[in-house]
Amino acid sequence: MQVDIQLEVRSDPKLMRSIRGLVKSYVCQSGFGEDKADEVVLAIDEACTNAIRHSYQGEQDKVIALQVVSEDAYIEFEVRDSGQSAPPENLMRKELEAPNPEDLKPHGLGVQLIYEVFDEVVFWPGEEEGNCVVMRLNLPK
Amino acid sequence: MAMDLDVVDQDGNVVLAAKGEVDLYSSPQMREALLKAIPKAASAVGVDLSEVVYMDSSGVATLVEGLKATEKGGKTFCLVAPSQSVMKVLQLSRLDTVFTIKETL
Repeated sequence: MQVDIQLEVRSDPKLMRSIRGLVKSYVCQSGFGEDKADEVVLAIDEACTNAIRHSYQGEQDKVIALQVVSEDAYIEFEVRDSGQSAPPENLMRKELEAPNPEDLKPHGLGVQLIYEVFDEVVFWPGEEEGNCVVMRLNLPK
Repeated sequence: MAMDLDVVDQDGNVVLAAKGEVDLYSSPQMREALLKAIPKAASAVGVDLSEVVYMDSSGVATLVEGLKATEKGGKTFCLVAPSQSVMKVLQLSRLDTVFTIKETL
């Protein structure tokens, strides 16, 4: 296993665009097509913005850690924060169905998008503080 | 700017055209423009997304809010020519069938 990328980014929404660029580049370089790369970009963006909005309640002077490791068979992303731990019920996979327009509630979409995009996802809300999500994508054969 | 917005009057109806990236940083601007524009429309509101190259769930939430606010005011809401990126995030969210999609308003 190799640690390919390890960085810390300040919890500022303005910086997410740069992270997206980096992630897209890395995923394309790992042998995925642009469509899949775009999906991964979206999911990582969602993981980071969840950290900003929920864990850090919008505070922009906090740290989000992004790590990417690679193995022969997969690449694995980890997004970690040290803010408020998410309630476990918010991190469960739900079946997304076309909702009844009357009760449209697009909250929690980010978590579901992460589950849709990656082959394996594990959320670790910390016991007292912090969150970590590990997202694995199998490499194309 | 990562995102540009244009609000256009079309025969009394309103088209909000977004261009660029709609994410956590820029979506509040789109939200504000949309909520301001809705009362000005005679009967229809369109959001032109043909030149949106990226949209995340905060952008989607803004569209949903726009849909609800428009329909509450008795008007119609549609997405105009959403780009492939926008359709992708709507499909992943299973919200692609919730919106009316048109080529032009």
